[in-house]
Amino acid sequence: MDFWLSYCTLAAIYVLLGLSTNLLVGIAGIFSVSQAAVFGVGAYIVSWLLMNDVMGFIPALTIAAGCCIALNILVTLPALRVSGDYFVVTSFGIQLLATAIFTNWTAGTGGANGLPGIPPPDLFDKTLDSQAHLTALSVSCMGLGCLAFWLIMRAPFGRLLRAIREDELAVAAAGKSVLRAKVSAAAMAGAFAGGAGGLYATFLSFIDPSSFDLDASILLLTMVVVGGARTLAGSILGPFLLLALPQVLSLIDIPTTIAAAARQLIYGLLLILFMLFRPQGLAGEKL
Amino acid sequence: MLALQLLFNGLVTGCALGVVAVTFSLVYSTTKLFHVAHAGIFTLSGYIAWSLSRQGVPFILAMAAAVAASAAAGAAIQAWLYARLERKNATHLVILIASLGTLAVMQNIIAAVYTPNILQFSLPWAGEVVAAGGKVRLTAIQVVIALASLAVYGGLMWFAHRTILGKQMRAVASNPFLAEITRLRPRRVHVLVMAIASAAVAVPGVLQPVDLGLQPYNGTTPLLTATIAMIAGGVGSITGAFVLAVVIAELQNMSLLFIPGEWSIGVTFFIFVVFMLFRPTGLFAAAR
Repeated sequence: MDFWLSYCTLAAIYVLLGLSTNLLVGIAGIFSVSQAAVFGVGAYIVSWLLMNDVMGFIPALTIAAGCCIALNILVTLPALRVSGDYFVVTSFGIQLLATAIFTNWTAGTGGANGLPGIPPPDLFDKTLDSQAHLTALSVSCMGLGCLAFWLIMRAPFGRLLRAIREDELAVAAAGKSVLRAKVSAAAMAGAFAGGAGGLYATFLSFIDPSSFDLDASILLLTMVVVGGARTLAGSILGPFLLLALPQVLSLIDIPTTIAAAARQLIYGLLLILFMLFRPQGLAGEKL
Repeated sequence: MLALQLLFNGLVTGCALGVVAVTFSLVYSTTKLFHVAHAGIFTLSGYIAWSLSRQGVPFILAMAAAVAASAAAGAAIQAWLYARLERKNATHLVILIASLGTLAVMQNIIAAVYTPNILQFSLPWAGEVVAAGGKVRLTAIQVVIALASLAVYGGLMWFAHRTILGKQMRAVASNPFLAEITRLRPRRVHVLVMAIASAAVAVPGVLQPVDLGLQPYNGTTPLLTATIAMIAGGVGSITGAFVLAVVIAELQNMSLLFIPGEWSIGVTFFIFVVFMLFRPTGLFAAAR
């Protein structure tokens, strides 16, 4: 039972990340390998605020989301002004830089040893410390995230984003600012990722740089690619499927030394195969 | 004296990075693809040479085999993956994701076979100090890296400007449509360019690990630095990419005088941000 609860909690958090990646990569069409870095920034900010007893969970989560929005605007605006390929370089750079900061800034992030003992989240003066409570919290956050995603995609702004994917030039000719729409999408992606980071940190009560490295970014991309780009169903399906993969792998007898590499190898293979044979993923639209 | 040593180290690293940047730039300007998996080929070549040289194959033969294998790997990626995706009218994003997937596959096959631990070549000659003026010391392998990289750079310049194939390549790069109707067969040229770029990147790919050791995930940072050098040098300029790679490596090494080494990625990225904000077309773009 505990296993299922923790699986659901983690999957719910990754659905939020999937929504974030889908907004950025699937809908706005911006290739990014720095999603895990933003996720990490959210996680570290919430952990720091809670561990130093600065404020409660909800305000901390808000601040983390705000910081991640600012970070994503700061990162995407100068790069997208020039071209999409500049953002590829930027996102690689941000990801490697973030890993360097998470690992080496020992005073703030605990370095490679990570931050242990992050207090559980509190809601309305009540501490949520049981597994079931945490699951309920993250699943309801997932619900809110999905609702927000659905509303955004229905709104005129969502249609604008879809139009940009179809024909950027036509959108620009119609008098819409492509750059502003893309940066707004990136900002929203930042909010989702930052919020997910806060949930992740309080749920595990321990974070370290390995959860937020380039491999984690590739995992997030794989989730969206497997689930399917640009749809709500895809963003939910991908995380639930891919988080089950390590469990399936543990049934096969693989030496622990290569387990991590084998997992990452499968993600890479999935990326290639889906791009070749089913770029729309299991339940998505054309990428 | 430390500064002088760092200056020389920067020059050696810069030449090796220069080849990565130049080859990446060749692929990028010809095929218009952001070939992330280039980092995988860079790493793979080192491991091939390491395995062969461990089997007792002379180093020079091991290196030749690694260069040939890299060329084959590069051509295979182009012919079986990128070209296939392009035939399906895949978007730029789709090809980029496939390229990232290829990088992940290559790195993790290496990590699964050779473990993620650092591996060293056992070549006694490589560590011999050949030039020691005052307190500056250069090992044999460092000199070899610099000279071989400069030779590859010179060779690629000669190839691009003096050979028929090089001219075809530049023709395809500047106007693929025109190249298609004049029967230059861009797809064939793309495969050849990938093979040549991959063969060339194997030279620093093999030599640099002799100096610094091999790790499966070591290709990512050189790739980032190389792409930054390409952009800062001006996309399409071979010399620009090489010169800027040396400059960035020098700045990285010089920054060690003031800040610890683990932050050098920050220095590299800072250079990129400055260029992106103030001169996004790069330094040598006007010369094109």
